[in-house]
Amino acid sequence: MLNVSHLTKKYNRFVANNNMSFMVNEGEIAVLAGPNGAGKSTAIKCIAGLLRFDGEIEICGYSNKSIEAKRLLGYIPEIPAPFELLTVWEHMEFIARAYKLKDWRERAEMLIKRMELDDKRDKTGKELSKGMQQKISICCALLIEPKVVLFDEPFVGLDPHAIKELKAMLFELKEKGVTIIISTHMLDSVEEFWDKILIMMNGRIEAERERKFVEKSGENLEELFFKITEKNSTGAV
Amino acid sequence: MGSILYLLRKNIKNAIVDTFRHPMKLIVYGLIAASLVYAVVRGFTMEVDVDDMLDSRILYGAYLALLYFISIPIMLKGLSTGSSFFTLSDVTNIFTAPISPKKILVYGIGKQLATSLFLVVCFSAYGSMAIKMFELTIGGALLLVGGIALMLLIVQIMTLLIFCICSSKPSLSIYFKLFIFSLALFALGTTTAFMFSTSMTLENLYTAISEEYLEYVPIIGWVHGVVFGLISGSTTKVMIYSSLLLVLCIISVIVFMHAKLDYYENVISRAESYYEFRESIRSGTMSDKVLMGSRKIKLRKMGINKGSGASAIFFKHLREGSRRSRFMFFNINTVVLIGISAVIGLVMKTFFYKYWQITYIYIADVIICSYVQFFFSAAGDWVKELNKPYIFLIPDSSVKKLIMAGATSIIKPFCDGMISFFFLWILVGGSPIDALACALAYGSFGCIYISSNILAQRIVGISGNRGVFITFYMGIMIVLMVPGILAGFFCLTFITWELKVIATTVICIPIIIWNIFISFMIFLMCRNLLNNIE
Repeated sequence: MLNVSHLTKKYNRFVANNNMSFMVNEGEIAVLAGPNGAGKSTAIKCIAGLLRFDGEIEICGYSNKSIEAKRLLGYIPEIPAPFELLTVWEHMEFIARAYKLKDWRERAEMLIKRMELDDKRDKTGKELSKGMQQKISICCALLIEPKVVLFDEPFVGLDPHAIKELKAMLFELKEKGVTIIISTHMLDSVEEFWDKILIMMNGRIEAERERKFVEKSGENLEELFFKITEKNSTGAV
Repeated sequence: MGSILYLLRKNIKNAIVDTFRHPMKLIVYGLIAASLVYAVVRGFTMEVDVDDMLDSRILYGAYLALLYFISIPIMLKGLSTGSSFFTLSDVTNIFTAPISPKKILVYGIGKQLATSLFLVVCFSAYGSMAIKMFELTIGGALLLVGGIALMLLIVQIMTLLIFCICSSKPSLSIYFKLFIFSLALFALGTTTAFMFSTSMTLENLYTAISEEYLEYVPIIGWVHGVVFGLISGSTTKVMIYSSLLLVLCIISVIVFMHAKLDYYENVISRAESYYEFRESIRSGTMSDKVLMGSRKIKLRKMGINKGSGASAIFFKHLREGSRRSRFMFFNINTVVLIGISAVIGLVMKTFFYKYWQITYIYIADVIICSYVQFFFSAAGDWVKELNKPYIFLIPDSSVKKLIMAGATSIIKPFCDGMISFFFLWILVGGSPIDALACALAYGSFGCIYISSNILAQRIVGISGNRGVFITFYMGIMIVLMVPGILAGFFCLTFITWELKVIATTVICIPIIIWNIFISFMIFLMCRNLLNNIE
């Protein structure tokens, strides 16, 4: 479970995230949507414990900066950053050792196979294309069997097969009770599986909707998104 | 051509505006300008005794070396078919525009010339010093500066010629490469041969570097001949060499006018890798991809095999190290260091040993090698690790991660020091204890570099402004180094004449103790650095 309370992130005078509060339960997929520069990636990085911030973020009851929380968190960055001199398999081994995982090999094999990296297992990070590097990031994040996973623009750069496989993985993670947050500005890429959507603009959450509410009310999500982002409103909807 | 001129005009204007928007940049430029003005004023106002004046043969040889230093790299760039004449934005915007490739090439080389002219400004500041030290006239100093400008102009024209020929017939580039290297080898070879045929004295070295046949070297020697012909009033020399240069330039221009240029494809991939390299320097995110370029990685041993938690970072670094070099900690940097150390040792032993004790050789070697190490440390494992999120995400204590991430960057200088000072000891002799002390002192400076880096990251922030970071880094480094060096030389004052054989060790021990102690303290002080990426 993820609990974000009064998250504010400032870069000097620029407010990237302004008093954001939300909660994502076990087995829920929440989408942080918004145009470029809305503050989605900054919020994701704050949750991952990479940035300093004001407010509180808890991952399964632990402060997100604690070692216990790190053990439970998987993070897939927007720009993949593999180790140039490690092979695909060695990335798996490194993560397993760094996170002190037990019996990880079978799971690593499965992840590599599903991401179609099995024939690239001895290729180094330097030799892989951007899409392949993104797949390594996904494998590394999911190897640790996280309770909370943060995806920052996960579909960018992936081929159709990997997108299909990733979507299947998301459903499986959801079934297992994993809390998932996805940041994206492409609503159609997440329309099949979101449970909660947070539409961001200028660092604030301008609208928060749950799937069951939208399905019941018949509200058009895309219209709501454009209404918020195009008029650049400041008041919550 | 109008669009290119517009681009140049706007680039210059925006660069000036940008400088005023970034105070740190302005301060750095101000400091460079102030140091140049200081060098000019100091040169004119300094009192030089007749005994302190330098032999004019030094000026002759040093000027030739300077011309080599300026021209050889530029000509070699011409061989790589325009690699750094063009940026990636040039490729995407200008190459696709309806502009003649010849005009674009002139634009690219023109930009290169502008960068090179900065060198002329820097060297001109030392003209005043040359006037005093070599008893030159102001006219003579101006001729020296003018010679550098002439060299730059001619070398750019030559680059055009090489580029035109090599882009249409890439197989010819090997001959041009041989030609360019033979220019350098001729000067080195004749000087070395002269020294071996006579004796290794300073006097003979001065004679060797001022031999007239060095001016026979095409282009570089000819420019040298024109400048020194004008200074010495030798009309024949000036006429011969300037005629040769003129003919060469005319031929180059004719070849250029008639060339059918199709170099875009060659430039694109190089422009991309140059862009990545520049961006990595600008953002301080040096990576193995940038450093190794297109070099094929040999995997050798597979797997990380050891480590758990934070220590997995250290063993990962070992595996990465084994892929960069077969001998892990001993790589090209080690070879460069051995080379530098050996050259300094041999030169000092050969030419200055009569006056100086062996202590000076060792200490000079520690100072120069430690200075060189600073540049090697910029691409250490620790620095690269900060560019990726994993180190921040690993569930282990920040201080453990900090120590493990820095471990290879600490071990490497000690290994380099051991091997290079061992070679120095073989070459120049002295006590093995001295060599060991110097190796440890060299290694301990590596600790200072990494701890200064950590402290600067702590103050400025890991993702802070690179200019501010580098300023802090350099400042902290100097502040941290000074106490150890002062303590070393202070201890030397207690050494009596009888104990002078251990002087090197006496200087090194306080440096080693201080450097390691202060670095350890900084590691402890900055133990929370990896709590976040900022």
